[in-house]
Amino acid sequence: MKEIRVALAGNPNAGKSSLFNALTGAHQRVGNFSGVTIEKHEGYLDYRECRITVVDLPGIYSLTPYSPEEIVTRRYIIDERPNVVVNVVEGTNLERNLLLTVQLMEMEVDLLVALNMIDEVEQKGISIDIDQLEKLLGSHIVPTSARQRKGLDDLLDHIISVSDGRIEIRKNKMTFSPQVEKAVESIAGLLGHERDLSKANHRWLAIKLLENDREIYSQVQKYPVWVKVELAIQEAISECGLLQGTDPEVLITEDRHAFVRGAMQECVRQPRVSRATPSEKIDMVVLNRVLGLPIFFFVVWAIFQLTFTLGAPLMDALEYAFALLSDTVAPHLPNPVLRSIFVDGVISGVGSVVVFLPNIVLLFMGLSFLEASGYMARAAFVIDKVMHRFGLHGKSFIPMITGFGCSIPAIMATRTLKSRSDRLATIMTIPFMSCGAKLPVYVLLTGAFFPPTMAANVMFGIYLLGIVMGLWTAWILKSTVLKSESEPFVMELPPYRWPTFTSVILQARMKAVMYLKKAGTLILGAVMVIWASSNYPHSRALEAELARETVRIELSPVAQEQKEQALRHLQASMESRQLEYSLAGRSGKLLEPLIRPLGFDWRIGISLVTGLAAKEVVVSTLGTIFSIGHAEEQSGLSAILRSDPGFSRATALSLMVFVLLYIPCVAAMGVMKKEVGSWKPVLLYSGYVLLVAWVASFITYRLALLFA
Amino acid sequence: MKLSELKAGDRAEVTSVLAEPAVRRRLMDMGLVRGTELEVLRFAPLGDPIEIRYKGLLLTMRLNEAEGITVNKLASAEVCTDGGGGIRRRHRFGRGA
Repeated sequence: MKEIRVALAGNPNAGKSSLFNALTGAHQRVGNFSGVTIEKHEGYLDYRECRITVVDLPGIYSLTPYSPEEIVTRRYIIDERPNVVVNVVEGTNLERNLLLTVQLMEMEVDLLVALNMIDEVEQKGISIDIDQLEKLLGSHIVPTSARQRKGLDDLLDHIISVSDGRIEIRKNKMTFSPQVEKAVESIAGLLGHERDLSKANHRWLAIKLLENDREIYSQVQKYPVWVKVELAIQEAISECGLLQGTDPEVLITEDRHAFVRGAMQECVRQPRVSRATPSEKIDMVVLNRVLGLPIFFFVVWAIFQLTFTLGAPLMDALEYAFALLSDTVAPHLPNPVLRSIFVDGVISGVGSVVVFLPNIVLLFMGLSFLEASGYMARAAFVIDKVMHRFGLHGKSFIPMITGFGCSIPAIMATRTLKSRSDRLATIMTIPFMSCGAKLPVYVLLTGAFFPPTMAANVMFGIYLLGIVMGLWTAWILKSTVLKSESEPFVMELPPYRWPTFTSVILQARMKAVMYLKKAGTLILGAVMVIWASSNYPHSRALEAELARETVRIELSPVAQEQKEQALRHLQASMESRQLEYSLAGRSGKLLEPLIRPLGFDWRIGISLVTGLAAKEVVVSTLGTIFSIGHAEEQSGLSAILRSDPGFSRATALSLMVFVLLYIPCVAAMGVMKKEVGSWKPVLLYSGYVLLVAWVASFITYRLALLFA
Repeated sequence: MKLSELKAGDRAEVTSVLAEPAVRRRLMDMGLVRGTELEVLRFAPLGDPIEIRYKGLLLTMRLNEAEGITVNKLASAEVCTDGGGGIRRRHRFGRGA
């Protein structure tokens, strides 16, 4: 089978991801581009005896070295040499999209243009002379509609033909204005003399040098030819300044614009634009001076209400299924040790994690809906002034929102922020945005200690506290250690689009798989460690006492019923003393003096320690530890906690605040370290959040006691 | 005059883009080059970023970025008059009229 590698490149919102999904369906995997944490979506499909591997490059507007996405894209195209580069352009916004096309043409790759959203183009009455545009660009144009799955086979046929060489890409050269063209030619000529650069695209390098491209500068500076090249660049700069009143970079950009403008005039007929497009009409309400902020807060609030209200029955069903599983498995395991491992350890541990999957899936469906619909950018626009006041960027908002799902992708998403100080501040803010894994803790505790009508409000309050503390942290960072210029805020508001069902589902499924993988491996491992450390070492003295007492009760002259009751009590107290004796009990006890003022006993102490592995483990640890001694009651964990004397509403509130604020899970710390570059800031940050968590929980606990 | 000094509903033509390299590049890549005609659509509810429309594209930027763009204000003959609340400009929170 012939192998063809295809890269999809294009503007954000051009429908690249939809096209990618439509082409590869379920055959996808997500990784990282080497060296950076920008997601790389790769998929494949088999078509006409060919295995076509498709890589979805990040959405970009240009090929400058100012954003990591742009650098990744051009490095991928140059270093990985895909057989075909498919430039996905948004048919309804052709002018802006073609600016990237022109830059891809300059790279002289085997380029195909997918004229996407052709359905919208037709609907809007825009006519595009594709033949003429093909002549101007020198590459074939295939009209597609990823949403309606139109033109996909045509695109695939073209891909195969291009990779076979049956379609020749003319690789047109755009001619720049005379001064620039002269400089490009002379610099390209100079670079041609350099033996080590013989394989490189000299013209492209020359254009980039004239565009003042740092990356290319450092690449060419190594060679002796640099001395002459630098002179030529200087000459070009002074000549352009003299004759055009500006520098080559501006001229090159303006020439590209002029080329695209010309192409548009020649090939595209647009009906006279009516007064306001539907998107603009929506914006009149959504971005309204008065309604804008309330709508913004309503959307955020609605997402969470939706997650909980819709998630609750599904959660109940899962919880029931796991209880059923325990009941079914238990009788088949006569060995008490094995039974304890499976029922108390494996099933109850994994079960109490998996049970929260509906919440997480719903939340991510909501977030990807916001993203795909185009509201996310509006949210950044509406909230930027506030974010800016805390030293953050409107764009920090999107990673921060993602932080509500999981800190790991959120921290990675801060890569879209160009300035390092903005990025650091946002990274350090994200763990305060309560992630999906902390949700199980809140759901458990609010469910156990608050009536259903109040539970959602308490949870909303917790989330709000996280936001406040996060912004406060950002402000402190930005006004002390990270005091420097903020990143520019220049952002397009894409037209509103109805997100496709499949893209929302695919997103949510990806997150669910990620969560389950974590639950399956890391969490099960953690649960087994907890189970072992809360059962071992065995106390021989306790065993002896148990035997002695059992005999004493059996021989005592009371009714059989009373004997059984006494035995049950004995069993329960022995189990809890054994837990205290175990490894876990001892470490919890060690911590107890530190957390006692927060209303926590040693059992909660253990949960907090194991919760460092992943926050949802707090729940499974509580489950394992508190279910011991309650063996005969088949009640859920919430009922057990409610009936426990060491657990009150104040404890629950204090614990939620502590879990919200204390050190992020090890996986998030790992990603953070990678993004920040060293352990030192991460460790300092850990100390800071521990302190914040302790103080906030202390205040919460004392206030709750006061009002109880 | 500067883009940041326009009011919602004003139309203008870009005469130069002068900002630090990364910002300037970004603005130009989004199609804001000399000669581009634009219309100011609105300011964000809190008065800071500004939203403009040009070439069928909606772009937002902060006022301090908009300061780097000098424009020539055009006669507002066909200014959008559909009195949507977002189009009106009342700087209650903003930088003061």
